[in-house]
Amino acid sequence: MSELLTRRHGLEFLLAELGGSRMADPGASVTIRGDLGHINLRGRASDAGFLPPVEKLLGQALPIEPNTVSGERHQVFWLGPDEWLIVTPAAGALELAERLRQATSGTHASVNDISGGQIALMLQGAECRELLAKGCALDLHPSVFAAGDCAQSGLARANVLLALMDATPTFMIVVRRSFSDYLCRWLAHAGSDVGIAFRDA
Amino acid sequence: MLLIECPWCGERAETEFSYGGEAGITRPADPGALSDAEWADYLFNRSNTRGAHRELWNHAQGCRRWFGVERDTVTYRISGSFRLSGASDNREA
Repeated sequence: MSELLTRRHGLEFLLAELGGSRMADPGASVTIRGDLGHINLRGRASDAGFLPPVEKLLGQALPIEPNTVSGERHQVFWLGPDEWLIVTPAAGALELAERLRQATSGTHASVNDISGGQIALMLQGAECRELLAKGCALDLHPSVFAAGDCAQSGLARANVLLALMDATPTFMIVVRRSFSDYLCRWLAHAGSDVGIAFRDA
Repeated sequence: MLLIECPWCGERAETEFSYGGEAGITRPADPGALSDAEWADYLFNRSNTRGAHRELWNHAQGCRRWFGVERDTVTYRISGSFRLSGASDNREA
């Protein structure tokens, strides 16, 4: 039955409205990544029943250093000293969450698939630091906020997780779905001077 | 705008935080044994310090952890932040 259901990110109407990727040479572009799953993971990093089995299952280390990303098979973001966000292709997210749950069943931990609650936007282009600076108090200069860094903060008063995925630069903005319509409209407005294009993943 | 140092995330803008009042107020071990006056004192009365004040802040828009800040209530100068006892560090949560 599930094959009959089409995955939607809920911003299709906005893409139609904001004109997709027709702009010739935009200073920034936003790619709506509705094809990603989000898993919230909590547990004690010092717990031998938590960290080793989780890292073995993921096949990569959890970022222990605050506000950093571990980007290998999955993108794992530090959210707090005992909290991480795992971003992975949506198709495997449910299964990964179930396997994480089994791997941590003997200890004090929690695994939640929160894919329905938030969405990732990839912001690229030469002008995207200036664009973000219009609504974010973080210092995003490359000497301060480098590739592999992430931070939870406010962007145009919306709570976001902001991460620099590569030095191109490519920023990932993770925002609550209920704020994604507002945030995309804010980005469209804030980026109108440099040109901003929206596209689907 | 205050720049507040979160013990985990470093210096961030004041807008990311929410204030939690005076630090170091311990809930009485046996509230039932207190008189109404003592209970009211625990609930409502604060030192209202002039000068160096230890207070609680929550990094609400960031890592969502509670921590302590020492701030001068006259000049608003923040002299430092501290983790609360028993709080999680990066290896221990």
